[in-house]
Amino acid sequence: MIKYRESKISAHHNYLVNDMLTPGFVVGEPDKQGGFYFLADKVLAGESMPRISCRLLEEGSGNLLVELNWNRIQSNPKACIHQSIPGGFQILLSSGNVLLEVQTQAFANGYLTRIKARLYDEKGFLRIEPLGDSIKVHDAEKPVLDSPFSFSP
Amino acid sequence: MSKSFGDVWIFGDYRDYFQNRITLQLIAKGKDLAEMLNTGTTVVLLGEQVHQYAMEYVAHGANTVMVAEHPKLKEYEVETYTTLLSQWVKSYRPEIFIAGATSFGREFFPRLAKRLRTGLSADCVDLEVDPKSLLLVQTTPAFGGELLAEVVTPDRRPQMATVHPGVFRELPHNSEAVGRIIYPDVDVFPEPRVKVIRSRPPIKGKVSLEDASVVIAGGMGLRSKEQFELLYELAELLEGEVGATRPAILSGWADEERLLGQTGKSVKAKLVISIGTSGALQFTTGIQGAETVIAINRDPDAPVFRIVDLGLVADAAAVLPILIETLRRRL
Repeated sequence: MIKYRESKISAHHNYLVNDMLTPGFVVGEPDKQGGFYFLADKVLAGESMPRISCRLLEEGSGNLLVELNWNRIQSNPKACIHQSIPGGFQILLSSGNVLLEVQTQAFANGYLTRIKARLYDEKGFLRIEPLGDSIKVHDAEKPVLDSPFSFSP
Repeated sequence: MSKSFGDVWIFGDYRDYFQNRITLQLIAKGKDLAEMLNTGTTVVLLGEQVHQYAMEYVAHGANTVMVAEHPKLKEYEVETYTTLLSQWVKSYRPEIFIAGATSFGREFFPRLAKRLRTGLSADCVDLEVDPKSLLLVQTTPAFGGELLAEVVTPDRRPQMATVHPGVFRELPHNSEAVGRIIYPDVDVFPEPRVKVIRSRPPIKGKVSLEDASVVIAGGMGLRSKEQFELLYELAELLEGEVGATRPAILSGWADEERLLGQTGKSVKAKLVISIGTSGALQFTTGIQGAETVIAINRDPDAPVFRIVDLGLVADAAAVLPILIETLRRRL
């Protein structure tokens, strides 16, 4: 058998991760207080925007840089900047360097979101890094979301 | 113990996608066939930056899309495609593999069948799974279209066929569909012997028979080019297009791009009015996808009357001006 990689695929919207389409994915533990996570949530039919929620930490110190909830800044102790770009947005560090870029391409009948970022967890491990025009996720398991993520109450 | 079958595979022909709906038509038919075999439907998709097509195929009913994304697959190259797909077939063992009888499918599918040492039925107008043998029955015109042959491939796998565009109906787009996407490793490519210098689409006229909701089809029963040209008036009144039989085209009454049938175009119009056509099989395969067919022919025994919803036994050349005049008054 030829080796292969596989994922789920949505007819409506996908993210490009590890050179694969996927309806959604989560890295880290969204429910863990103060811990790193990156959630690219399933986008429902009729919606055109991706759903990015994340807690991004500083490399080395593990301090919180910024927290996003559905593409909007929720907590911003390091004065990061949310900047609109065609088809998406960027989160810039106060130094002006791009921390995260999210850009959505509209097709005739669907959408594809590409993410660019280099992200570390609280232990200093590289969890997400750029790969071509998208990202590579470093995780033994890469949970694929084919329905919207549910946070613990 | 019941036998288990490999998937039904469909070749993803996405070039000129929004006009060329053949892959979507084959997905719909593939689902019917897969259901009979209790298996799944897989579209194989080769190219570069083909994400949107993978999503489209899932939206139109594919369970799985198998994708090879590579810059070397950007241009269609028959040797590369044949080599890659023969490797995949040998590895994944589909039960059935079908492609559109487009210029694309007609070129490489026979090569692929030869490479796989299996049979291939070309230009099929129907596909069914026999409920007893569970073999794919491939219906294809034979002997110049005089007969419809039913072909089966009892021993070799996959069972392969190319299918005439327009004979099956695509399923509606479902944005909520979720499927499976597989990326087999592809890193070995044959050195192509053909180098593509440039590709450009053919210069097209305004004729779009495949997309027309009304088609007026004319044949030799119209007896002259002048009579045939009345079809354009009728088509204009009904906001339709004009198609023709092979003899009408050979008589110089219409251009080749208006040819309907086995070697021409297949339509899925809401209404086809067939005027002065006898109903030869090689012609009727092109109009059998229409929702309603009306025929006018002076011969009550003309074969065309066997496939129509409404038939009028009359001299087409006499009826046509009356029909045009009546419509002109009412529309």
